[in-house]
Amino acid sequence: MRDILIRANNLSVHFPLRGLGFGERPVVRACEGINIEIEKGSFFGLVGESGSGKTTLGRAMLKAAPISHGEVLYSDGEVNYSLGNIQKHELKDYRKRAQLIFQDPYAALSPRMTVRDIIAEPLEVMGITSSRDETDARVREIAAMCRLNLEHLRRFPHAFSGGQRQRISIARALVSGPKFIVADESVAALDVSIQADVLNLLNKIQQESGITFLFISHDLSVIAHTCDFVAVMYLGQIVESAPTRKLFDETWHPYTRALLSAIPSLDPDVRGNAQKLEGEIPSPINPPPGCRFNTRCPHAQDRCRSEVPEWREMSSGHHVACHFAEDLA
Amino acid sequence: MTRPLISVKDLTLRFKTDEGLVTAVNNVSFDIAPGEVLGLVGESGSGKSVTAKSLMMLNAENSVYDEGSSITLNVDGKDYDVLSLRRPAEQMIIRGGAISMIFQEPMASFAPAITIGEQMVEQLMIHSSITRSQARDISVEMLTRVGIPEPAERFGQYAFEFSGGMRQRAMIAMALSTKPRLLIADEPTTALDVTIQAQVIDLMKDLVDEFHMSILFITHDLGVIAQTADRVAVMYLGNLVETGTVRQVINTPSHPYTRGLLNSLPKLDDLDAPLTPVPGDIPSPLDRPTGCVFHTRCVESGEIAERCRSEIPGTTIGADDHRVDCHLASAGDQA
Repeated sequence: MRDILIRANNLSVHFPLRGLGFGERPVVRACEGINIEIEKGSFFGLVGESGSGKTTLGRAMLKAAPISHGEVLYSDGEVNYSLGNIQKHELKDYRKRAQLIFQDPYAALSPRMTVRDIIAEPLEVMGITSSRDETDARVREIAAMCRLNLEHLRRFPHAFSGGQRQRISIARALVSGPKFIVADESVAALDVSIQADVLNLLNKIQQESGITFLFISHDLSVIAHTCDFVAVMYLGQIVESAPTRKLFDETWHPYTRALLSAIPSLDPDVRGNAQKLEGEIPSPINPPPGCRFNTRCPHAQDRCRSEVPEWREMSSGHHVACHFAEDLA
Repeated sequence: MTRPLISVKDLTLRFKTDEGLVTAVNNVSFDIAPGEVLGLVGESGSGKSVTAKSLMMLNAENSVYDEGSSITLNVDGKDYDVLSLRRPAEQMIIRGGAISMIFQEPMASFAPAITIGEQMVEQLMIHSSITRSQARDISVEMLTRVGIPEPAERFGQYAFEFSGGMRQRAMIAMALSTKPRLLIADEPTTALDVTIQAQVIDLMKDLVDEFHMSILFITHDLGVIAQTADRVAVMYLGNLVETGTVRQVINTPSHPYTRGLLNSLPKLDDLDAPLTPVPGDIPSPLDRPTGCVFHTRCVESGEIAERCRSEIPGTTIGADDHRVDCHLASAGDQA
């Protein structure tokens, strides 16, 4: 029996826009009918282009975006929450259990606080520690885990490089002892050599502490190296999800294949064989009817333009939403 | 052998700051042949953009070029000494005349309150003696050429009405409309999604063939380099540490830094390969290491570490002009 930490059932997140005063108010359908299950202790990758709704989905799972339809269920063995109608005191507790690491380590840290205070703030705000000594001990423990030394704790963020700052953000997210962390494009702003370092650190934390990660990225090669499960998102919907190995061994959805082939190959002798995707991601205000990918899919047929593809299991744990997955493989 | 289009020799550039002179580019030399794509790779802070901007004299007022630095542009058999061009009228040749530049963030590069078309027409009319309607025709034609649908309508729109990929296309159209000999592309695809990046890279390749232009392609992404460049120059803390053909640099890297960059990349064909980061961070240019600039992070120096700390490595030239600045290479340990 798989042990699911957090799951989304038919989750939709809609943002109403200001209307023109007549007719229906336009609605941004950022996420629509999402079903995912994140196993306890897994490193779950979420990949997609900008505008696909990855961040919104991550935020909904932290109860930081409005849940319009469906539900998000969190269950870690101690507590069970349904985030859609969570009570205020429960939400306070949930904030300790679920944390977020941001993309830009330059914007995420207050320039006026020392690193020690930045890391200690969640402990004080959430009332986790009761004395200053206790707080300091906890901060030092977490800092060591993220390879920050005592000297670093006295300084301000401006004295640190991008990689070090991202380690500070990670320490801050870890300090409340969360069970679930959403890492939203946490390595996108870093140089490759630093990116590798931060990815290794996240993997180590996950292995040592068993924290469950939702790792959001636009970079499939990064996801492939760090995550054990991948979901591919396009225009507010999950189009394919599978254990990482399975997804790369056997790719069913044409969008996943296009994403894969768009990654520039490191081999100078393999040039220009990418399967090019025409056009750009449509607006989530007026998503195309039927399969949302039909406007860019090289294999789209009439059925794709009218009928929403079913979410099907192709092999154990490998799901896809495409009418013609078998014919195209 | 044809003459290089542009030849940079011993370029050293420093910035005057409150903390003293900061060396941003140190003794950099490279050539770009007509029709060649040179990839310039390195981490943030390595001096890639500053080097590129020197070619157009676009660096800030507080920049100082050391004596002995030279940049020679050769257009139609005529040589221009770029660093001696001081008056705006003289600088026309390097600013939009023979050299154009496209930037990383196309939203920040277009004026927000002037239509895309007006901006294209304006720069065309500055650089050539044509009428406004001719400039308009050329602009619309260029927009068509870079794959912008409904170019005539798009011509009258503002930058905010374009998506990221479209803006970058419009930027390319604008840069190419004056038919430059050299296009400087500073991280042109970094802000784009991979699918759009693939489209833009394709477009740039087509245009190089069509216009027989040279490109100086700046990026930190070795995958993009492998897909576009003919030759590659690897930069670290203001120094060129390795230059060679794309196959030499990617397949048989000679400098420990190039190897480090390649090892830290996640590879799709081998998911089990560990990611090996280059240890530590790039040092501050205010505090340049003695000896080899890379010695503070080098994992390969081993026995000769002392030499790397104290002695600046010379350039070892291998087959096909594969150049590397490393004591290991000069000692013959590495070919």
